[in-house]
Amino acid sequence: MKLYPLFRLDTLNGFIGIFIGLFFVLILIYSLDFMWKKRNLLQYYFYIILTALFSLVVVFTNDLRLLLVFWGLLGLTLYLLINIADDEKASLTAKKTFIIVGGSDCLMLLGIAIIYFLSGTFQMDKIKLSFNSSLTNLAYLCLVIACFAKAGAMPVHSWIPDCAEYAPLTVTAYLPASLDKLLGIYLLARISLDLFVMNSIMNIFLMIIGAITIIAAVMMALIQHNIKRLLGYHAVSQVGYMVLGIGTGVAVGIAGGIFHMLNHAIYKSCLFLSTANVEYRTKTSELDKLGGLAKILPITYLSCLVASLSISGVPPFNGFVSKWMVYQGIIEKLTAYSAQFTAQRFVAILCLVAAMFGSGLTLASFMKLIHGVFLGQDGDNKQVWAEVSWRMWLPTVILAVVCIVFGVFAYPVPLKLFIFPAVKGIDFIGTWHAGLSTLLIILGLVLGISIFSLRDLKPVFRKDRPFMGAETTALELTKVSGVEFYNTIKELKVLSFIYKKAEAGFFDIYEQGKRFVFAIGRGLQYLHNGVLPSYLVWCLLGMLGLFYVIIFK
Amino acid sequence: MKGLFSYLIFPGFLFSAFIGLIAGWLDRKITARIQWRKGPPWYQNFLDILKLLGKETIIPEGTSALTFIFSPFFGFLSAVLATTILGRSIIFPREGFLGDLIVVLYLLMIPVISIIIGASASHNPLASLGASREMKMALGYELFFLFCVSVVIIKTNGAIQLGSIINHQMSFKSNIFSFSGFLAFLLLVLFYLPAKLGFVPFDAPEAEQEIIAGTMIEYSGLGLAIFKLTKAILLYTMPVLLIVLFLGKDLSALFLILKYLAILLTVIIIKNTNPRLRIDQVLRLFWGPVGILAFLAVILAGLGY
Repeated sequence: MKLYPLFRLDTLNGFIGIFIGLFFVLILIYSLDFMWKKRNLLQYYFYIILTALFSLVVVFTNDLRLLLVFWGLLGLTLYLLINIADDEKASLTAKKTFIIVGGSDCLMLLGIAIIYFLSGTFQMDKIKLSFNSSLTNLAYLCLVIACFAKAGAMPVHSWIPDCAEYAPLTVTAYLPASLDKLLGIYLLARISLDLFVMNSIMNIFLMIIGAITIIAAVMMALIQHNIKRLLGYHAVSQVGYMVLGIGTGVAVGIAGGIFHMLNHAIYKSCLFLSTANVEYRTKTSELDKLGGLAKILPITYLSCLVASLSISGVPPFNGFVSKWMVYQGIIEKLTAYSAQFTAQRFVAILCLVAAMFGSGLTLASFMKLIHGVFLGQDGDNKQVWAEVSWRMWLPTVILAVVCIVFGVFAYPVPLKLFIFPAVKGIDFIGTWHAGLSTLLIILGLVLGISIFSLRDLKPVFRKDRPFMGAETTALELTKVSGVEFYNTIKELKVLSFIYKKAEAGFFDIYEQGKRFVFAIGRGLQYLHNGVLPSYLVWCLLGMLGLFYVIIFK
Repeated sequence: MKGLFSYLIFPGFLFSAFIGLIAGWLDRKITARIQWRKGPPWYQNFLDILKLLGKETIIPEGTSALTFIFSPFFGFLSAVLATTILGRSIIFPREGFLGDLIVVLYLLMIPVISIIIGASASHNPLASLGASREMKMALGYELFFLFCVSVVIIKTNGAIQLGSIINHQMSFKSNIFSFSGFLAFLLLVLFYLPAKLGFVPFDAPEAEQEIIAGTMIEYSGLGLAIFKLTKAILLYTMPVLLIVLFLGKDLSALFLILKYLAILLTVIIIKNTNPRLRIDQVLRLFWGPVGILAFLAVILAGLGY
C-alpha cells in the first residue's frame, strides 16, 4: 500500500509519535487502579484508545483534509472524555471545551480553504506560502488560532483550568497536559517552519502572545487554592514558552520551543498523576485540607518534587535546558536587529524578562503546592494510611526519571536524537555541562556524607516536637496552609483589581462570547413575544416586501 | 580532576567560604563599632561554624526527615557551583560556555529554594510564614534584577557569557560608565544585594524579633551550619557577580578587592541605618518605584545611553 501522498514520516513528527505512544501506555497503566469501579469504564477505555489513534493520524498525515477531519474528531473525544465524570460541572466544562475547540476548528477549515485557494494542493510538503497578501495572513492566523485553542495559549485558553478542575485527572493528564500540547505545538511548528515563510511581523506577534500567556496565566496560578486548577493554569502558562520559542524564528529558539513542548508534556502529566495519587488517597484537592503528606506518600512526593523543580526551570532538570534555549533564541533575535529597530529590540527584551520572571513565578506557585500538600503541617488526612499501589506510582516515577535524564543528559539523549534533526540550520551552541555540574554536586554530597560518617564527626540526630512561643501545644491551632501564601500579592492595589476582573470571567473569551450571543438573543427574544397579532403583522410586512420585489424589480 | 579542584578549593568552596566568613566578620565588626561595641575577633565566624557542627541536630517530629536534612546541602552545593563558574570566568575569561550567565543566575536561585523547602519541612507555622515571605521577597527582587541584567545584555551586544561580558568591558569601558548602567548598578547595590543576602531592611523572612528567625526556626547543628556557610558564600559571590557585570574593566586582584570592599561597605551601612520593612511594603517598593526605575534603565540602554 502506498502511503506517501496521505502520510509522511519525517524528523519532526517521528518523535512526537513515539511520545504519544509513551503517554498512552502510561495512562493505561495508571487508569487500571485510578478508574477502578468507576462508571462507563468501557466507554472510557474506548475513547482513550481512539484518542491515541486519532492523534497518530494527525501527526503523521501529509494531507490537510485528513488533518482537519481528525483534528475535529480529537475535539469530540475530548468532549466525551470530560463527560465521563458524569456530573453537572463536568458536562458544563465539556460544553465550554467543545465550543472553544470546535469554534477554532471552523477557523482552521477557513484557513485550509484559503491555503487550497492560494496553492492549489492539500499536500503539506508541497506548500510554501510567503506573506505577500492579506489572504495569506488570514490563513496563517486562522491556523494559529486553531493551534492555540488546542494547546491552550491565550486568549483561547480558558477551557483548560476548568477542564483540569472538573474532568477526571487521568483525562487531564492525558489530553490537555500532554497530547493536546504535543499536537497543538506540532502543528504550530509545522505551519511556521514548513507551510509558511515567516516574516518579522508574524514573529513579533507570536512572541508577544507567548510572553502575555506566560505572565498572565502564571499570575492566575499564584492565587489558586485548588491544586488541579493551579496546575491547569500552569498548563496554559507553559505554552507561552513554546510559542515564544517558535516565535523567535531563530534555530535555537525553535528547537527550544519544541523541546519545551516535549518536556512540558512529561512533567505536567507527572504532576497531574501525582495530584491524582493525592486525590485518590485523601479524596480532596483543596490546599487548605491537605498537608504533611510527604511521610505517607514518599514516592509520590519525590516524583512531584522533581517535576515541580523541572517546570520551574531549576538546573539540572529538563525544564531548565529548554527554557535556556528559548532565552538564547530571544537574545539572538535581539542581536540580529540592528540599532535602528528600537521597537523590535524592546519587545525582545520585554519578552526575555517576561519569560525569566515567569519562571520565578512558576517556582513560587510550586513552592506553595509542595508546602501545602506534602510538607507543612498535617491536614485533615485521617483516612490516608499508605502509598498508592505500584500501578499508580510507577507512571509518575517513570516520568520523573525521564525529567532527570532529559535534563542531565540533555545533549546526548533528547536533543541529538529528537530535536536537532527536526530543526534545520542549528549550529550548536556551547553546551552547558549539565552532566559535569550534576556530577560535581553529587560528588560534593557524597564527600559531605562520608566526612560526616567518620566516627568522631558523626552528627547527633534527635527527634523532638516543634516549638513555638515557648510551648508546643499551640501548634495544632495555628496552621499555615498554602491558601494564604501569596495573599500579600493578591492585595496589592493594581493586581487586586485585575484579579477581581479575572475571577469574574472578564478575560475569558467564552464568557464574553456568551454575553455577546445572549445580547443578540435578547433582541430576538423581544420580537418573539408569542402574541398572535404581532406575528401576523410580521407576516404581512414580509409579504408586502416580497410583492414589492416581485412587482417592481 | 581540574574541575574538582576548582570546585572544592579554588575558586570554589574553600576559597569562597573563607572570604565570605571574613566578610561576615567585617560586617559584624563594623556593626559593632557603629553601635559602640568592641566586636568579635576575626576568627569568630569560623569558630561559630565549628561549634555548630559539633552540636546535636534536632529534627521536628512528624515530618520528612530526609527533606529536612538534605535541603540545606543542595542549596549550599549549587551556591558553590555558581561561585566556581563565576570565579573561573574571571580567571579564564575565554573558557566559559555560552549562556553561563543564565546558568549562574538560576543556580543562585537554588539556595532560596532550599531555604523554602527546608522551612516547609520544619512543621512549624512560623517557618511556613518565613517560607512564604522568602518566596515573595525573591519574586520582588527578581523582577528589577532581570531588568538590570538585560541592561548589561543590551550594553554588551547580546552577550550572555560571563567571559565575553568581561572582554567587552575590557576593550570598551565598564558598563557602569553610562546613564543606564549607573542606574542599574545603583538599584542593584541599594536594593538587590541586601534583599538577596537577607540583610536589614529586607530581612522579613528571618526577622528574629517577629517570627523567631522564621525559616531557620527549627534548624540546629549541622543544618544551621550549612545554611550559615551558604550565606557566607553568597556574601562573596553576589558582590563579585555585580563587579563582573558592571565593573569589569580592570579585574586585577587589587582593584577587585577594592571594588568588593566598597560594595560590601555600602551594604553594611545600609543595614545599620535602616529599619526592617514589612513584606508588603517590600513588594510595593520593588514592583513599584524600583521596578519602574529599572525599566527606565532598560529604555535608556535601548536608546544607547
